[in-house]
Amino acid sequence: MQKSDLLEKLQQIVGKEMVTTSAAELYCYSCDASQVRGMPDIVVRPVSTEQVSRIVRLAYDNGIPVTPRGAGTGLAGGSVPIEGGIVVDMSSMNRLLEMDLDNLQVVVEPGIVQEKLNEALEPYGFFFPPDPGSSAMCTLGGLIANNGSGMRSVKYGTTRNYVLGLEVVLADGTVINTGSKTTKSVAGYSLTDLFVGSEGTLGVITGAVLKVRALPKERSVLLASFENPELAGKAVVKVLSSGMIPSACEILDRNIIEAINTYDPNIGLPRAGAILLFEVDGTENTVREGIEMIKEACSSLASSIRAASDKKERDEIWAARRLVGAAVSRLDPLRTRVYVGEDIGVPIKELPGMLHKVSEISKEFSMPIMTYGHIGDGNLHTGMCIDVLDEKEWDKLNMAADKIHRTAIEVGGTVTAEHGVGSARAEYMGLELGKGLDVMILIKKALDPKGILNPGKMGV
Amino acid sequence: MDNSDMRSILKCVRCGTCRSICPVFDVVGWESSSSRGRMLVAHGVSQGMDVDQGVFDSLNTCTTCGLCEQMCPSGASPVKVIENVRHQLVLQGKMTEAQRSLRSEAIEKGNPLGEIKDRMAWLGDSGRDLAKKADYVFFAGCLGSYRYPELTKRTFEILKSFGVTVLEEEVCCGSPLLRTGSDPSELISNNLQQIKNTGAHTIITGCAGCYTALKNDYPGNLDVVHVTEFLADRLAELGLKKLDLKVTYHDPCHLGRCNGVFDAPRQIIMSVCDLEEMRNNRERSKCCGAGGGVLKGYPELSLDISKKRLEEIPKDVDYLVTACPLCRTNLKRGDPGIEVLDIIDLLEMAMK
Repeated sequence: MQKSDLLEKLQQIVGKEMVTTSAAELYCYSCDASQVRGMPDIVVRPVSTEQVSRIVRLAYDNGIPVTPRGAGTGLAGGSVPIEGGIVVDMSSMNRLLEMDLDNLQVVVEPGIVQEKLNEALEPYGFFFPPDPGSSAMCTLGGLIANNGSGMRSVKYGTTRNYVLGLEVVLADGTVINTGSKTTKSVAGYSLTDLFVGSEGTLGVITGAVLKVRALPKERSVLLASFENPELAGKAVVKVLSSGMIPSACEILDRNIIEAINTYDPNIGLPRAGAILLFEVDGTENTVREGIEMIKEACSSLASSIRAASDKKERDEIWAARRLVGAAVSRLDPLRTRVYVGEDIGVPIKELPGMLHKVSEISKEFSMPIMTYGHIGDGNLHTGMCIDVLDEKEWDKLNMAADKIHRTAIEVGGTVTAEHGVGSARAEYMGLELGKGLDVMILIKKALDPKGILNPGKMGV
Repeated sequence: MDNSDMRSILKCVRCGTCRSICPVFDVVGWESSSSRGRMLVAHGVSQGMDVDQGVFDSLNTCTTCGLCEQMCPSGASPVKVIENVRHQLVLQGKMTEAQRSLRSEAIEKGNPLGEIKDRMAWLGDSGRDLAKKADYVFFAGCLGSYRYPELTKRTFEILKSFGVTVLEEEVCCGSPLLRTGSDPSELISNNLQQIKNTGAHTIITGCAGCYTALKNDYPGNLDVVHVTEFLADRLAELGLKKLDLKVTYHDPCHLGRCNGVFDAPRQIIMSVCDLEEMRNNRERSKCCGAGGGVLKGYPELSLDISKKRLEEIPKDVDYLVTACPLCRTNLKRGDPGIEVLDIIDLLEMAMK
């Protein structure tokens, strides 16, 4: 199909204003926050499920790749059209359709930004727990498609735990609804679970029924300092095996502490080899008890422990923590954070060992690696900053990232705990999933026989 | 593109923080209208991308409000990059009709509005007995001179009682050219010579655009104060009475976020009446939509941004107050349903 015909047909579906072939615009849609690049032929911004269905049907009939995109904040190229075709920018489908709070659920379109949903819920005393660092910018559709999570997953789990049902446009334009409005249902295969985390390779998510929770009455934050990250890792294992489940458990290494203090000097985190940030939420009593249990568990390993003095300090710490992924770029004017090999997850018992291995990899490649992340669920973000104009540094970076990925798999971990596979990590799928990948490929073929949905992603 | 601009572009990790706060993206919705998108377009242009309408619509819709720069976690400077790329393109003769017209009007007529009337006519009888030399000189600005002459006269009446003078034949400060990529050096040297002639050590202005141009773009590190800063230090001498009013305040981006003048306007307001803040205020204040050449080049977009900003006005306030004639103009265009006052209007109510 000629590009001009495609443009005309898409204009008929969404109107002239909502489709573009402008070179400048296409360039802006050729990347996300990863290093993956791919130029779309056309970008379209639908505002309804019906429009999405017609767009996908048009693509299906003509064998054109379709790549759905939310806010483009992904770190693995999930929304990058590496085989060209149509990018479907879902961010205009951003209505909160229903607040059914008696049933503890909301019905949303996929383009709503995570934080906007929580702003709408807060006055009613509810929240949507999955809390990625990008909560101020990422869309719920992207969060669902990547099964994202974030800082509170140690207690509240991942996005998957909050998706009751989905509306999905399949490869031929058919619209289906998965799941139900009940909290429990065993009717049939869990198609909802299949689509959550499928990164747009099986269908385009156009709506979701999400579970929400009552906001906790109390929250308290504890900062524990350690001589090195390994000791912090041991403390995490001790805390979690004590039976105490914090609502967040984050690790910051020496460089990350400096990055946060540079980004917001008011915060003034203590200088240490590593800091663990614990958050406990619940009632007044459970919070007090939880804080005591953490103090007790950390006492023999930590060099100092202190509580955040008030809500203001607590909020500042979390706000800075959310942005630290990018803020590490501030440490050196010539270096930029590059998101590669940044999202491994390991079994909790393996944490101290993995932290040690990361520091060995850092030495091996003479590549400073900053470590932070949701250590409470074994998810480490390893941050590397390079001079992006220096090709040798890129080589070192990629070799270090490859070794981090392989090491995580060796200890029974994963190459991506929450950011997604995209095309950046697709090559590791065989190694990590074994024959499971063959089953994924069968599912992909069954649902997308022409291979038009987000091609080149997830190893399928 | 110079190395520092390329470094700034490369600092951008495309995290999307700016996308969630850019007032232009909020209205337009296309990726190229966010700062992240503009950094990409700037990069594209540096790599030889054709400069077509799409490139202009990306780069030229930035109001230069600086909120992205304020919030950018990785320390990139999108506004600086955008202004520099605009400048590079103008040097190559690549500009829109709006940019061309701003430039030619400002250089030929001394103001970007295309006015040919006597610029200093606003002075009226205040022009009598003007001191040739003074420590302080009032810079009225183009909007002040031509669009708000009465307010400007009344402002100067107050300042004059403190021994302030004006320039003999002030011309545009150059801000509209600086923001849209043209060379303002002719205007700057003209004003500078006149400032020198007055012997003034400090320049006072009531316009946020003039303020930032004079302070940050003129050579020689001039001492520049906003009229609110000057008067906040002299409140006791103004004989103010308390008004039974509640107002809200819009921070002009080029006064507040870009230059840190947040307290002086608030000090004045709170000394005469009650203040209730807009939802986003001070460093996080949202743009009125007029800056960076957007009102001139994209009037409808500019109006939509203004309307979004006006949604943040608290209920039950009597006036929306601001401290910049360009913000005032655009906020009025957005039709807020209450009167939009310059802070001097409010001050005068309390002086009567």
